[in-house]
Amino acid sequence: MADVLRIEGLGKSYGSKPALRDVSLAVADNEYVSLLGPSGSGKTVLLQLIAGFELPDRGRILFDGSDIASVPAHERGIGFVFQNFALFPHLSVYDNIGFGLVNRQSDPVTDPVVLSSRIREMVELVGLSGLEDRGVHQISGGQRQRVALARTLVSQPRIVLLDEPLGALDANLRTRMRGELRRIRSQLGITFLHVTGSETEALAMGDRIVVLNEGMIGQVDTPDIVYNSPLSPNVAHSLNCYNLFTGSIQSSSFLAGTHRFPLNGTLHPNPTPAYAIRQDLISVRPGNASLASSEVALTATYLASEYTGAAFMYFFRAEDGHIVEVENHLSHRAAQNLDVNATYQLVWKADDALVYG
Amino acid sequence: MQTTFIKPVLGVYTALFLLFLYGPFVVLGILSFQIGPNGGPQFPIIEWSTYWYQHVFGLTPPSRIAPLPIYEGLARSLTLAFMTMIVSTVLGVMSAQAFRTKFKGSDVVFYLIVLGMMVPGVLVGLGLALVANSVGIDRTWWSTAFVLHVVYTFPFAFLVMLAIFNRFDPSVEEAAWSLGVSPIKTFRKVTFPLIFPGVLSAMLFAFTLSYDEFSRTLFASGRDLTLPLAIYGTFSIEIHPNIFAFGVLTTLFSFALLAVYAILMTVSLRRAKRLAIQEDA
Repeated sequence: MADVLRIEGLGKSYGSKPALRDVSLAVADNEYVSLLGPSGSGKTVLLQLIAGFELPDRGRILFDGSDIASVPAHERGIGFVFQNFALFPHLSVYDNIGFGLVNRQSDPVTDPVVLSSRIREMVELVGLSGLEDRGVHQISGGQRQRVALARTLVSQPRIVLLDEPLGALDANLRTRMRGELRRIRSQLGITFLHVTGSETEALAMGDRIVVLNEGMIGQVDTPDIVYNSPLSPNVAHSLNCYNLFTGSIQSSSFLAGTHRFPLNGTLHPNPTPAYAIRQDLISVRPGNASLASSEVALTATYLASEYTGAAFMYFFRAEDGHIVEVENHLSHRAAQNLDVNATYQLVWKADDALVYG
Repeated sequence: MQTTFIKPVLGVYTALFLLFLYGPFVVLGILSFQIGPNGGPQFPIIEWSTYWYQHVFGLTPPSRIAPLPIYEGLARSLTLAFMTMIVSTVLGVMSAQAFRTKFKGSDVVFYLIVLGMMVPGVLVGLGLALVANSVGIDRTWWSTAFVLHVVYTFPFAFLVMLAIFNRFDPSVEEAAWSLGVSPIKTFRKVTFPLIFPGVLSAMLFAFTLSYDEFSRTLFASGRDLTLPLAIYGTFSIEIHPNIFAFGVLTTLFSFALLAVYAILMTVSLRRAKRLAIQEDA
C-alpha cells in the first residue's frame, strides 16, 4: 500500500510553548487511522497543519509525494470534518453538500444535472434522504454530523481529517455513528485520519492507532497491540485503563513509594521508570488471603465503586495515598461485597504487569 | 422590600427620560400646525392649519416669508451621507477583517482609528480648514468635508464590524477552504452573507451620523452649505414655524430609513425563521 500522506519532523510552537515537536507519521491509502491524544497533546494542531489552516515552523508534509507544507488550504484537496460541524448556517442541507462542488477553484461542477446527481448520491450514502431542503438548524445533531461528512466526501478527497467528529453527539448516537463512519469509509475507499480524545473511540475505529502525548508521537500500531502493550507510561496513561506507579528499579524489584513489586519478564526501555498494571487484571481478596509465588499484592483501603452496566469500577487507596482502580467485569466475576474503609489485598500476576525503566 | 421601592423610582426615571427625549419633538410637531402666515413659533396655537407644510413645498401664495433656503442643502447632505456611508462601511469591514488576526502594531492602529470619533469635531474641522488653506485646496462639502465625515464615521462602522467578527466562527471559512474554495470566493459566499446584518448596522450608523454632522462640516465645507448648516443659518434671521414643519418631515424621513433597515434586517434573518416554520408544519 502506498502512503498517501507522509509527515516528517513536523514542529509548531505558539510563542515559547511548543504545541508539536518533531512528529513523523505515514498514513497509507485506504486506511482508517485514529489519533488518540488528551487535550493539549497537539492533536488538533497537527490536523490544522495538515489541512493548511496553520503553517508549521519546521518539517515537511508530503501528500501524494509532493510537499504541501506551504500550499494554501484551498489548493490541498484534503477534506476536513469539524467537531462543531461548521455547516454554512445560511444554506440548506442540499446547498451545504453542493457548496464545494459549485464554488471550488479547480474544476467546479457547472452542469446542474451532474451536480444534482452527485449530491443525491451522497445524500443517499449518508442517509439524509428527504431532508435536502431543510435548513441546518432544523435537523438533529446526528443529521448535522452526516451533512458535514457528506459535504466533505462529495468532492472525493483522497484523505479526510476528522477533528473529534463524534464529540458533539450524545453517547447513544456516538456509538451508531462509529459504525456508520466505518461503513461509509470502506464504501468509498477514502483514507480517514480521525482525531479523538476518547480511548474507546480510538480503539474501536482505527485500523491503526497513533497515540500523541505532549506534541510527540508515543506509539503507532494496531489497536490490540497498543492496548495490550503500550510502549511508554505516557501511552499507557492515554489509554485510561492502566494503574501507573512511578518509582525506581532496584535489583529485582520496582520501588514505588513504600511499595515493592518483584520484577518478572521483560523491561521496556524508557527514561522514566514506571510500573503499569491493567485495571481489569487485578483481583480483590480479603486482607489475610495467601498469595501464589507468581502473584504480586498491594494492601489498600476500599473507597467507593462505580457501576457501568457491564462492569464495576472499584476505587482503592494504597498506603501511600495512591489511588488504584480495579475493573470487575461482571461476565467474569460476580460483583463483590466490599466494605468501605476496610483493608483488602489487590492481587495480580507479576507477568501481567508492564515495567518501564 | 427593596424591589417595591426601586421599581416605581425606575419607572418615574424612565418616564422623565422619555419626556425629555420626545418632549422637544412633540412641541415642534404641535407648533408646526400653527396658522400662517401670521402665526409665530410660540404658544398658544391661534388656529390649527397645515399652512407651514404647504409652505415647505412651495404650495402657498407668495407672502413676506421667504421659502427656506435649505433645499440644495438637503440634496447635498443626502449625497454626502450616502457617499460617506459607502466608503466608511467598506473601510470598516476591511479593517475589521484585518483585525481578526493580531498583527504587529495592531493596538496602535486600533487607537488611531478610534481617535477619529473621539477628537472634538470643531478642532478637527478647524485644523483641516487651516491645512487646506495653507496648501491651497478649495474647501467644499464633497472634498474636505467628505474626508472629515469618513474620518468621523469610519470608527463607528469599524467597531460595529469588530463586534460582529468577534462572534464569528472562523471554522466555517476553514470548512470552505478545505472544500477547495478560494479565500476571496469564501468571503463572498460564506463570510459576507453571515456578517450582512452587521454591515447593515454599520451603514445605518455612518449614514445618520454624517447626515446631521455639524461641527466638522462648519469649518470644512466652504461656501455651499449642508442641511444642518443651512437650518442653523435660518435661525439667525427670524424663525417661522415652516422650519418646524421641515423638522417633522425630516424626522419622519429618518423613521422611514429605520423602517427600511428593519425590513432588510428581517429579510436577511428570514431564511432561518422560514425553515423553522416548515418544521412545525
